[in-house]
Amino acid sequence: MTTETVLAEIGDLIREVLDGYDLGAVPITSDTSFDADLAFESIDLVVLGTLLAERYGSGIDLAGFLSARTLSEIITLRVGDLAGYVTARLEHA
Amino acid sequence: MSRFLIVVPPLTGHLTPLRPVAARLAARGHHVVWAGAGRWLRDRLGPVAEIHDCVPASFTVGAREPGLRGLAALRFLVEDFLRPLATAMLPGLRAAIVRHRPDVVVTDQQAWAGAYAAAEAGLPWATSASTSAELCDPYPPNVHDWLRGCFTHQRWVADPRLSPHLILAFSVPALAGPAATTSPSVRWVGPVPQDDPGAWTSPWPTGKPLVLVTLGTQSTETGARFLRECAGALAARPGLNAVIADPGRVVGPCPEHVHVTPWVPQQAVLKRAGLVICHAGHNTVTESLWHGQPLVVAPIRDDQTVVAAQVVSAGAGVRLRFAHATAAHIGAAVDTIRADPGYAHAAARIRSACRAAGGADEAVTHLEALARSTTLIPEVTR
Repeated sequence: MTTETVLAEIGDLIREVLDGYDLGAVPITSDTSFDADLAFESIDLVVLGTLLAERYGSGIDLAGFLSARTLSEIITLRVGDLAGYVTARLEHA
Repeated sequence: MSRFLIVVPPLTGHLTPLRPVAARLAARGHHVVWAGAGRWLRDRLGPVAEIHDCVPASFTVGAREPGLRGLAALRFLVEDFLRPLATAMLPGLRAAIVRHRPDVVVTDQQAWAGAYAAAEAGLPWATSASTSAELCDPYPPNVHDWLRGCFTHQRWVADPRLSPHLILAFSVPALAGPAATTSPSVRWVGPVPQDDPGAWTSPWPTGKPLVLVTLGTQSTETGARFLRECAGALAARPGLNAVIADPGRVVGPCPEHVHVTPWVPQQAVLKRAGLVICHAGHNTVTESLWHGQPLVVAPIRDDQTVVAAQVVSAGAGVRLRFAHATAAHIGAAVDTIRADPGYAHAAARIRSACRAAGGADEAVTHLEALARSTTLIPEVTR
């Protein structure tokens, strides 16, 4: 699966997490920041983690991915970082 | 008679619950000294209060970007404000302890130096938990580790936010939930309503249900978009009356049933309100629930996300996304709460719990017991 495909699918999952809230002018790209652009809260990441595991299997562990990162890295986390992680995990599966 | 040193950061919401506690302590003959930013305290406490200035003039805080939220806001709060504030306050607090010889130090959860100075001097210290969010350790492990790394003085104090002797929580378990009730030193004294600063005369002759909109004292710039969306939602509901606190004057003209004002006598309006829309600030939420008002909560940052989750879990309100909520979302949330009496019933249950919790008098009872205690739990056993 290509990073582009994964990116598009993660975008759909993010819209599912933000259920009922139109992001309006904010497109979800690899450069979209979870914190600054999407205003994701910690509970949103938990929900997204569940959706990712449902879609790609339990090998995709968002909590584990985040826990290996520093506070600064979590703050600046972008959708592309997550898409890269998912793509790499799927390749090694 | 005992001697109390009360340590606060220069943050309005953190002074709020301690003022009535200090007044009750003084009324019972105890000696109370405030420690913090001298001029800031003097402006708020008046000419009679005994104040020990321990924030040097050289201490400054860089401006927080208005849009800062989430973990970025937490990092700013801790690394750029709380940790340097503790370092700046510590020498002055040591001097305050030598000079005023307190029996007990009462320190706000964000004035870490109060815990450090008390522990160094071997004094019992009480935590003032002006929000209940920190009591349930809301952080993931790596954030938790980072935060612990920001505590200096670990040899003296394991965690300056959580006293092993006494934690005064200005909330009730009915709101804070079971996750916040694990620490054995927590005493749930409930919200402490402020002495009413003024009366409020309704600008309307008829008694329609009243909605209060407020984003507290810290979010004037950040809140502009959300406040305008609130005004839009309420303007479209002529069956309601609304008071919108708009300190930044960002809301445009509104129809007659929506009153926009830079300052609101919050206690007086809350007595008459039927619903509150707010940022889930701890004081605003507990004051609203003290009056039994259900809430629409749109948390902006810091502990507000935890407090908003408490409101929803308790069944006393509906949560919105502050960054994305439009007039349609806000209006729908207002309609949901008005249509389902379960929200008001849950708020009424919390109101009863708050009124039974004892407030400032209960806090004073625990502080007096701590002042009398001669055997303390040694820090090292924690």
